[in-house]
Amino acid sequence: MTMSFSAPLVKIQSLHKSYGPHIQVLKGLDIEMKPGERVVVIGPSGGGKSTLLRVMMGLEKIDSGSISFGGKPYISSESADRKTEIDTEVRRSIGMVFQHYTLFPHLSVIQNLILAPCKVRGESRASATKRAQALLERFGLGAKANAYPAQLSGGQKQRVAIARALMLDPKLMLFDEVTSALDPELVAEVEQVILQLAAQSMPMMIVTHDMWFAKNIASRVIFCAGGVVVEDGPPEQVLGAPKEERTRDFIDRVFHIRH
Amino acid sequence: MALDFSIILRFQEALALGLWTTVKLTLICVVLGCSLGFFIGLARTSRSTLLRAVSSVYVEFFRGTPVLVQLFWIFFCLPLILGVELSNLTSGVIALTLYMGAITSETFRASLKSIGPEQLDACVALGLPRRVQVTNVILPQAVLRAIPTLLSNCVSLFKESALVSAVGMADLMFVGQNISNNTARPIEVLTVVALIYFLIAFPLTRAVTLVERRVLAKLAI
Repeated sequence: MTMSFSAPLVKIQSLHKSYGPHIQVLKGLDIEMKPGERVVVIGPSGGGKSTLLRVMMGLEKIDSGSISFGGKPYISSESADRKTEIDTEVRRSIGMVFQHYTLFPHLSVIQNLILAPCKVRGESRASATKRAQALLERFGLGAKANAYPAQLSGGQKQRVAIARALMLDPKLMLFDEVTSALDPELVAEVEQVILQLAAQSMPMMIVTHDMWFAKNIASRVIFCAGGVVVEDGPPEQVLGAPKEERTRDFIDRVFHIRH
Repeated sequence: MALDFSIILRFQEALALGLWTTVKLTLICVVLGCSLGFFIGLARTSRSTLLRAVSSVYVEFFRGTPVLVQLFWIFFCLPLILGVELSNLTSGVIALTLYMGAITSETFRASLKSIGPEQLDACVALGLPRRVQVTNVILPQAVLRAIPTLLSNCVSLFKESALVSAVGMADLMFVGQNISNNTARPIEVLTVVALIYFLIAFPLTRAVTLVERRVLAKLAI
């Protein structure tokens, strides 16, 4: 994909999403993400963070608005018939990792990794297996290639899930609370892997409750509450010296005392 | 009263033939019934109201009536309605297949339902086409999860198959009953017949536990 330096990688325009007639989760969200940015989305539960990521992945219908990736609109909805149009070709450039691993339990680690490359891109088994093995080695999981997900720890499962998403060479990674279901001692190994990707300038959007991690990985932090962007800026500002009162309240509560 | 089990030896060939008929009938109905049950299970989870309604009526009807009545109805009433003769093998196969289809459809339905929506999220996030989602992700998990209950369903069918003796099919039960009547040795003959059924059914029920412990525990599904 070629694009000029200043063109946004992702452009979200006036995104509205509700569950049923009464629950409005996203109330006109506008976000632009530049290439190479690592955006961390924070905010109270029910504020629409996870919904935003799910919408970007095409897992949820939207009421209105549009999302472009690399200049191409790939998710849109005309308010007339409210039908969500999704361009699956463009969507394939985006990878996502979920809170609850979502590995396929009946497939071994290596089979989990090669399923999509073989079935979606028609890659040969041998070539996909080779790439998968290399990726597993890189994430310290070389010995687990033939294990089944149930035989892995939560942290290992999540690293496999990340590797599985990377097998499709995504141009953007979405991480939806990927450490929330983990025991505290396993959080670091998953965050290390994500930091490793960050070091290779993989663009990513991360929803997390872990403020230490947010501070370490973000090139930009968005505070989302009540379905809108409340504050948007560099991590030092949003986490360290928030301008908005709602952000300040939230940061005070999660850090207990502001650093 | 002196028991003489040696008379069984005189009839071992007849009993073996009867057992073979029972096993054959069970195997045919397991294959046909499981296939029917899988599609009925899909129909019951379908979006179409008509498919759901028709399949539900079928399943509830066959689960809610005695197999013996179903068998008699197919043996005696169906030929009258269709105007064709049905051999006792054919009516036995039809009755037990319909019975097996009804009970296994519930097994498949439960296993399909137990696959969480997050598995589908993962499929979408990986860009898997619908066909691959079904054949590589949903179906294998549904079948694996269904195996223990399906094995129990097979054991039930194997035991229920003894009912076909009531329409004159020469299965193990029928042969046993005949020998018992002709020799006036019901205790010896029927005890041995019961033992034969048990020796086949019991390992199968143990296999259920084995599959649950070994295979499903390893996959945690």
